[in-house]
Amino acid sequence: MNYVKTEIKQGINLHNINTNKFKTNLFATFLATPLTRENVTKNALLAAVLRRGTKKIKSQDLISKKLEEMYGASFDCGIEKTGDNQVIKFYLETINENFLPEKEELDKKSIEILFDIVFNPLIENEQFNEDYVESEKKKLKQIIDGKIDNKRAYSFERCIEEMFKNEPYGLYKFGYIEDLDLITPKSLYKYYCELLQKCKIDIFLSGDFEGKNINEIIKNNCEINKLTERKPEYIVNMEKTEIQEVKKTKIIEEKMQVGQGNLVIGLSSNSQIENSKFIMSVYNAILGGGANSKLFQNVREKNSLAYTAGSTFKRQKNTIFIRCGIEISNYDKALETIKKQIEDMRNGKFTEEDIENSKKLIISSIKGISAEQDSEITYYYGQELSDTFTNIEEYVKKIEKVTKKELVEVARDMWINTIYFLRD
Amino acid sequence: MEVIESLKLKEKEYIEKLDNGMTVIIIPKPGLEKKYVIWGTHFGSIDNRFIMPETKEEVFIPDGVAHFLEHKMFEQPDGTNSLDTLMGLGLDANAYTSNDHTAYLFECTDNFYEGLDELMDYVQHPYFTEENVEKEKGIIAQEIKMYDDEPSWRLYMNAMDCMYKENPIKIDIAGSVESISKITSDVLYKCYNTFYNPSNMVMVVCGDFNPEELIKEIKKRLLPNKKQEEIERIYPEKEKKINKKYEELEMEVSLPLFAFGIKDIEENANKEELVKKHIAIEILLNMIIGKSSDAYKELYEKGKLLSEPDLDYEFSDEYAHILISGQSTSPNEVKDKIENKIEEYKTNGINEEDFNRIRKKVYGDYVVEYNNVGNIARMFLADKMKKINSFDYIEEYKNVTKEYTENVLKNVFKRENMIMSVIKSKK
Repeated sequence: MNYVKTEIKQGINLHNINTNKFKTNLFATFLATPLTRENVTKNALLAAVLRRGTKKIKSQDLISKKLEEMYGASFDCGIEKTGDNQVIKFYLETINENFLPEKEELDKKSIEILFDIVFNPLIENEQFNEDYVESEKKKLKQIIDGKIDNKRAYSFERCIEEMFKNEPYGLYKFGYIEDLDLITPKSLYKYYCELLQKCKIDIFLSGDFEGKNINEIIKNNCEINKLTERKPEYIVNMEKTEIQEVKKTKIIEEKMQVGQGNLVIGLSSNSQIENSKFIMSVYNAILGGGANSKLFQNVREKNSLAYTAGSTFKRQKNTIFIRCGIEISNYDKALETIKKQIEDMRNGKFTEEDIENSKKLIISSIKGISAEQDSEITYYYGQELSDTFTNIEEYVKKIEKVTKKELVEVARDMWINTIYFLRD
Repeated sequence: MEVIESLKLKEKEYIEKLDNGMTVIIIPKPGLEKKYVIWGTHFGSIDNRFIMPETKEEVFIPDGVAHFLEHKMFEQPDGTNSLDTLMGLGLDANAYTSNDHTAYLFECTDNFYEGLDELMDYVQHPYFTEENVEKEKGIIAQEIKMYDDEPSWRLYMNAMDCMYKENPIKIDIAGSVESISKITSDVLYKCYNTFYNPSNMVMVVCGDFNPEELIKEIKKRLLPNKKQEEIERIYPEKEKKINKKYEELEMEVSLPLFAFGIKDIEENANKEELVKKHIAIEILLNMIIGKSSDAYKELYEKGKLLSEPDLDYEFSDEYAHILISGQSTSPNEVKDKIENKIEEYKTNGINEEDFNRIRKKVYGDYVVEYNNVGNIARMFLADKMKKINSFDYIEEYKNVTKEYTENVLKNVFKRENMIMSVIKSKK
């Protein structure tokens, strides 16, 4: 296997993915911490403030200039929800030195800049730079306000919010405006110091580093040396489903100026059978995975009710979301058609061919993971946060083994948790 | 078979022009799991008036036909849908229509040749009936409505409206609910017979292949077809001026959207020149308002820009324009800043150090494009439609000098050709 994990210190791991399929080397650092209402906004703001400047490179334009000089190395950071964790992700991608017009050292420089941004921010008088914090607060506010701009994404987000009300997963990853006002450059810095002491830290390297002794460069980096051992605080994603109380379907309707209605339906599962997540993944593909799926065929192709019709499986939360863009007046008909598909799944009204096709679809995407550096990192990080490690070959085998009997069993434990509709 | 090698990228391109006029481009990627094939015809939304090579009949078609045709190609006489068949093989299949071409594609890890059977079968077998054409109108109407609700799409269309009076780039790729209502199976067949002749098509394949063997496999799957003459396309005369300076629209957005455009009316000498010019424009746009620019720094710090704007140069034989687009609380301030910076560079010249640094960045951006089989194949196809070889961007990069770039600035970034489209937030 091309993947090797080493512990640098307790709570801090280094993951090497050795590959020569790419023109680039990708360096990533992830900080994971439990999602809470108290900290969600702080984490989002933190990601934005950190990229503004470090003790060595004091402002964003200077960082940009350094990166451009390195043949346009690109830095990116973001906030993600992975199960009940909030993860702050930092990436630095640089051209592999084999493809430069002239020889130049880029890997060591990249690592230094990346760690400098994450672990060595610009601090003045025991606090973050005030201008940086204030302007990033304004920007974050605009991002939170901007939630409504993309109606499809907004509807999806709203359905998750309603379905997981008062639970960590229902939190918006960018946080809340009312919480933003309370954060000061001082309080944010204090939070940052605490976070660095207890969060789970993972460092990923993907690329071709032959003859580079890259792990030594990481281990000897002064920022890494400064970090202390920790018993990391984060939520382990369980392979087994947590049992939820089956409730009456929650129906939410919201109005906005739209020409097209957005329907999002959240399905919950209480299945306790072995490998239920792999079975649900196949279930999802049959229901709404692609052009062959029941939703696409029946909602779009047979009844012309929608242009988009499909479903997504959120593995960590055991939830399937059905998403359709429909003519507003067709709401009842679309909903009825969708319910019929769920019912058919429950009654085993799908063929062996449906199962085979869906498995092929999933297996093909699993096999394709290593064709993208970022998705390979994301895959291994998902395993890292989970209570069991499944490598890609085992994953494929588990999908292959799913039977119709198991699918029906899982289908019987599925129920419509929330129906969300955005209309005019 | 012609072979072009890029020493910097360590990649090879195999090009074969088949007897029936079709071009096949293969970029081998030994050891890679993913394979990607894309088959495109030089027929896009702007091709709405043409002369059929066989009958010499002049045809004028409703807006949205190329896109409609793309949707309908998947349907088979036996009631099956080729998209389903391809997905059933575990392939990730799709199709799209752009301004200047339509393409059918799939990506896979296994079952490549089974997929190629289906792809080449369905693209060569149209099946349109009055009934199946009618059914599609409902689906496409939903797609049009989806785009109508999308602020960034409206912003773009209004920018086109500012720059052009008659140019078919203004046509919505999907057409309008009204225009597609006029589409019949007869229109579809006429367009199919004209534009889906192999002479008008290009296939690009990227993945772990032996090029000679792959060419044989492709040839086996081609139906006998006569080579056709070049299709005469009729476009309105090129406009030397913009249509209007400014256009705005109110929508439900949290923050205004802006697109600052510059119409490029310069006549280009040849294809090499086009690539060089494209590189120079990318360098200039980065210098004017890119991540490390003074203008961006100032606007970002004042909170007038949330992130760096998208920088784009779109061109074909029929149109060419620059677009700088993003979100801002005050689009006018952004516009002023950009315009001032352009004037400043015109008067004082560009800074050599900045130029060299940005040119390195632009080189890196081109190299990154080669990370992914899908990207590579789509790029070679789109460039080929413009008669450009994608490797040229890597080769020409060193020929783009500071002086050359300053000339492009003078000839293209003209004040009288600048426009602005804005989506304001509804209060």
